[in-house]
Amino acid sequence: MFGGIGPEGQRRLGQAHVVCLGCGALGSVAANTLARAGIGRLTIVDRDVVEESNLQRQVLFDEDDVRDALPKAVAAERRLRRVNSQIDVRGLVADAHHANIEALIAGADLVIDGADNFETRFLLNDACVKHGIPWIYGACIGSYGLSMVVIPGETPCLRCVVEGAPPPGLTPTCDTSGVIGPVVNMIASIQCAEALKLLTGQAHLVNRDMVTVDVWDARVQRMKVHALRDLGACPCCSHRRFEHLAAEHASQTTTLCGRNSVQISFPDDHTIDFDAVSARLAAVGRVQRNAFLLRCAIDTYDVTVFRDGRAIVEGTREPSVARSVYAKYIGI
Amino acid sequence: MTYLDNAATTFPKPRTVHDAASTFMQTLGANPGRGGHRLAAGASRMVEATRLALARFVNAGSTPERVVFAHNGTDALNMAIKGLVHAWHRDGRTHVVPHVVTSVLEHNSVSRPLEQLAADGVIALTRVDCDADGYLSPGVVAAAMTPATRLVALTHCSNVLGTVQPIAEIGAKVRERGGDAVFLVDAAQTIGVEPIDVEAAQVDVLAFPGHKALMGYPGTGGLYVAPRVELAPWREGGTGGDSKHPVQPGEYPHRLEGGTHNTIGIASLKAGLGFIAATGLDAIRQHETRLVSRLLDGLAAVPGVTIHGPRTAQRRVATVAFSVKGYASQDVGAILDTSFDIAVRPGLHCAPYCHQAIGTYPDGAVRASLGYFTTDADVDALADAIAQVAAAS
Ligand SMILES: Cc1ncc(COP(=O)(O)O)c(C=O)c1O
Ligand SMILES: [Zn+2]
Repeated sequence: MFGGIGPEGQRRLGQAHVVCLGCGALGSVAANTLARAGIGRLTIVDRDVVEESNLQRQVLFDEDDVRDALPKAVAAERRLRRVNSQIDVRGLVADAHHANIEALIAGADLVIDGADNFETRFLLNDACVKHGIPWIYGACIGSYGLSMVVIPGETPCLRCVVEGAPPPGLTPTCDTSGVIGPVVNMIASIQCAEALKLLTGQAHLVNRDMVTVDVWDARVQRMKVHALRDLGACPCCSHRRFEHLAAEHASQTTTLCGRNSVQISFPDDHTIDFDAVSARLAAVGRVQRNAFLLRCAIDTYDVTVFRDGRAIVEGTREPSVARSVYAKYIGI
Repeated sequence: MTYLDNAATTFPKPRTVHDAASTFMQTLGANPGRGGHRLAAGASRMVEATRLALARFVNAGSTPERVVFAHNGTDALNMAIKGLVHAWHRDGRTHVVPHVVTSVLEHNSVSRPLEQLAADGVIALTRVDCDADGYLSPGVVAAAMTPATRLVALTHCSNVLGTVQPIAEIGAKVRERGGDAVFLVDAAQTIGVEPIDVEAAQVDVLAFPGHKALMGYPGTGGLYVAPRVELAPWREGGTGGDSKHPVQPGEYPHRLEGGTHNTIGIASLKAGLGFIAATGLDAIRQHETRLVSRLLDGLAAVPGVTIHGPRTAQRRVATVAFSVKGYASQDVGAILDTSFDIAVRPGLHCAPYCHQAIGTYPDGAVRASLGYFTTDADVDALADAIAQVAAAS
């Protein structure tokens, strides 16, 4: 047995409750690792269904899951029960939003960030800081990834480091720009290693810097962030103003009357860069555009994006599906 | 922002409306109540003065107590429809299922309560069609009536097409055909622009919101109930007097007005009526007629644009529904908002049967609705934007 954990650490892991918020690439590697490590209770939250393009990096799923169109949360639960029958694994098919995020993480000792968008991450940050639950940020794109541990009250939170979510359509996404398995495995592994330290009561060993990795350049860096917390200017962890939980910056979805479509829009003023978005979307479908809109057929959906970033996703009446399509292909 | 969604609610409101609302809340903001303290009495006077002004506005000035306040158009319509049904059940005349005539032009605030009552077997429902331009024919309405018809519920104006219906002719026919059938008119899109005379049109029940052309705040509305009509209260509660009655008192307006009034809204409505009086209903209507004519011309000149409903400015309010070739209505709405800063309303406008009738279901249409504060420049901005959008398709 690894001395850093020891029998007492293992016993503690068996009593721990971890929530994986999002079970895509990062989330499935992390859930797999944590289930095998013997985390007593693992809750896996995800809104999506397994798709073929996921299999390249999302290690918990296989072609049967794609054929059965299983929700990722359900497929992950089934798989991990077979991996470790000693632990309690639960999959929750849910779209995390400001009204349910606190319930989703209630009682958790730690949350692993497996979200595919910034909106959810900022929401998670608010909820975790509010309830004093540590969470571990992780994100990847291409061959690059980063991770940071947030221990409320001790380390900087996400808002100490990043002011707010980037405007819609600005950040490349894994589904448009690609991501390779190795960086996903590395970042999720870093998240899990830090999780094991925290859950075994060894917070003093946790790496409090932000770690960035580029597996193509074989470069790993640590960035000092602790000073940011000391500025005392963070709306979230210094002033305890939970603006994301209060839905002040939340995207809004409306099922459009008459049509089989959902509109997703954003409260703040943005102007989207049609060139950049269409260049990215060209990788997944045929893009048509004029001065006022940009249209792309993606899977079974027709996505129309307007100048301020709002979009109409045709082919569903489910807000969560529209949010997911937006997060995957436009970026939020 | 060019605001062309006045059919949903007017914006902006006259300055005097905000002043009146604010002054009321800062000086008299008490709960109105008869025989109460000075503030309560003052609030009560304001409410009653508004009631009287509204009654006179629709030519029911001799029975102001028959005008009751509601929280919006929908609330007034529900009070009317459910109140009638309840009253029929009370008087026991329901051995024959009561028959109701309505039209394809109705807003969901009429259609949905009626459809639900029909689905529950409480009423039998007939929905009459409109003509190709979006007008109801008095003859067609009368022909749909049967001996069992107890209610004819029609809109004064389509909120999609802007077509103003011949309610006086219809009212006469309804009275002629069915002795005690109630003629309910939804004046949501006309009150404050078109003259309304409940006497002349033989309207038994008139429902209206206060926040559209009447220029009051959202959360206001009203219902006129002719003395010949018995309406059971749908909302029961305190009336600021008569507290010893075990049930809702019989006299109007208290019969239908349980609960604290939306006094800030009523104060705004009073100022809205004052604004209309000072401006002149004729001047308001002429302004809107001139503008809608300009808009119709502007849109008709754009290749790829289809105007739904009549192309002329007569017998209509300043609401125009149209489609642009190559675009879904929601796309046009989003483009106007995001690229031109113009607010219109795409979709079905809570009037699915109307869109079915004009062949725009389920995608809907784009609706531009002008108001008294709309300018020539606003109209031109829309026509110009639509020309650019259509050309880019
Ligand atoms: C014809 C018609 N009836 C009823 C209503 C309902 O009014 P409110 O929105 O005040 O409930 C509207 C408003 O949109 C309408 O246009
Ligand atoms: Zn912070």
